[in-house]
Amino acid sequence: MSETTSLFDTLNELLPEILKATGETLLMMAICLSAAIVVGGALGLLVFLTSPGQSLGRFRAFNLAANGLINVVRSFPFIILLVAISPFTRVIAGTSIGPLAASVPLSIAAIFYFARLIEQTLRDVPRGVIEAAEAMGASPLQIIRHVLLVEARSGLVLAVTVLAVSFLSYSAVAGVVGGGGIGDLAIRYGYYRFQTDVMLITIVLLVVLVQSIQFLGQWFARHVDKR
Amino acid sequence: MSQTSSTASVPPAIELRGVSRRFADPGGRSVGVHPTSLIVPQGEIHGIIGFSGAGKSTLLRIVNLLERPDAGEVVVHGETLTRLSAAGLRQARHRIGMIFQHFNLLHNLTVADNVALPMRIAGERPARIAERVRVCLDFVGLAEKADVYPGRLSGGQKQRVAIARALAPEPHVLLADEPTSALDPRTTLDLLGVLADANRKFGVTILLVSHEMEVIRRLCHRVSVMEGGRIVEQLDIAGGRIPEGSRLAGWLQDFGAVGPAASPSPSAPPQDGAPSHFALEAAHV
Repeated sequence: MSETTSLFDTLNELLPEILKATGETLLMMAICLSAAIVVGGALGLLVFLTSPGQSLGRFRAFNLAANGLINVVRSFPFIILLVAISPFTRVIAGTSIGPLAASVPLSIAAIFYFARLIEQTLRDVPRGVIEAAEAMGASPLQIIRHVLLVEARSGLVLAVTVLAVSFLSYSAVAGVVGGGGIGDLAIRYGYYRFQTDVMLITIVLLVVLVQSIQFLGQWFARHVDKR
Repeated sequence: MSQTSSTASVPPAIELRGVSRRFADPGGRSVGVHPTSLIVPQGEIHGIIGFSGAGKSTLLRIVNLLERPDAGEVVVHGETLTRLSAAGLRQARHRIGMIFQHFNLLHNLTVADNVALPMRIAGERPARIAERVRVCLDFVGLAEKADVYPGRLSGGQKQRVAIARALAPEPHVLLADEPTSALDPRTTLDLLGVLADANRKFGVTILLVSHEMEVIRRLCHRVSVMEGGRIVEQLDIAGGRIPEGSRLAGWLQDFGAVGPAASPSPSAPPQDGAPSHFALEAAHV
């Protein structure tokens, strides 16, 4: 029996499992990316706007506190965060295993990761352009909508791309503690049962996913960049 | 009689009453503006000239409170800006246009959308915005570039778009912060023509900061000379004549009346079309 046949057989046999795992991974990604974009995006915008020299620079205390909080959360290696907040996860999700439970630590890590990414991306918008909008009588919300989100949009698309790739791999880590998903599949079959072919399939799957995300992100970023 | 009473009742376009602003520059020295007063009547083109660090840009930025003065009052078109709430100030800024040395256009917006931006911010009706965008792009001669992105324009064209953007909401006052300092001499002359036209056609009062003597001389009715954070001289220069014995005339002698051969920047020779006595580069003070 050749190696290819065996790999094909495994694939056939495990197809329902693989599909289920992929679905779980996509669910975790959808939850944590949404949380990151909404909450982390807002936090990143606020940290940027309250940084010294920007239009809400007078809220220095908020800036320092938010910056400190982002640094603290980002200090946790993800696997430690996962374990450390499991009591909190149980309160929120009712359980500490499965993709929904894994989405809690994933979302928390993603929110602060994305907040920092956004804050750094927005720094690329020239101060003079923001100042021109202030001189037109733009409110902070109008500056966000008409200037920051417009001028930084290709950077923001790339930030979401980096976020998605990072958290695809974080979601696989969540599999170690029974989070489900592609990583869980790799651990259960590929590692505990020594099924190297399953490990290979999951790796190929992850590579294809990452390449697709990166390709789409870069294409879209280029498309919206008129600079 | 009615003439005098009507001019007396027209408030000046800009009135600065004892404004001052101090801050430490990166080197730790204190720079800014000492208590300074300035009155610019409606319809005037008023220049502010001085060396780097004289406080001229700071003084200009005090007019729309981009720089908030530590003391004193700012009155624009009869409205005391320094007493307004944040919302009131935003409202007042809708009628104060501003252009910058580096244009500060949005690169991800088309030319038309850039011109529309201040009116969108002010909450104007779309039909009115479309109308003003057309009129103002026509005025600066860039109607055919409406759908182009600024990245495809030359420096002079970008500044024209910036002027159209500043004029679109029909401002009382146009603030110009070194508007030609990033442009070559020929483009500078074109731009000065556009600004003079805007003043004549729309009656907009212009307050312009420049370190280029030639810019001030060609465009301004009056000029304030700044040194060390103070206005040290105010001259009537309508017609381009600089009064003899003035500090400005002295500067012109010291720094301006250098022949093109002695010009420190040979990269930009004097333009044929410019009936200037000296190269614009040599006119930097």
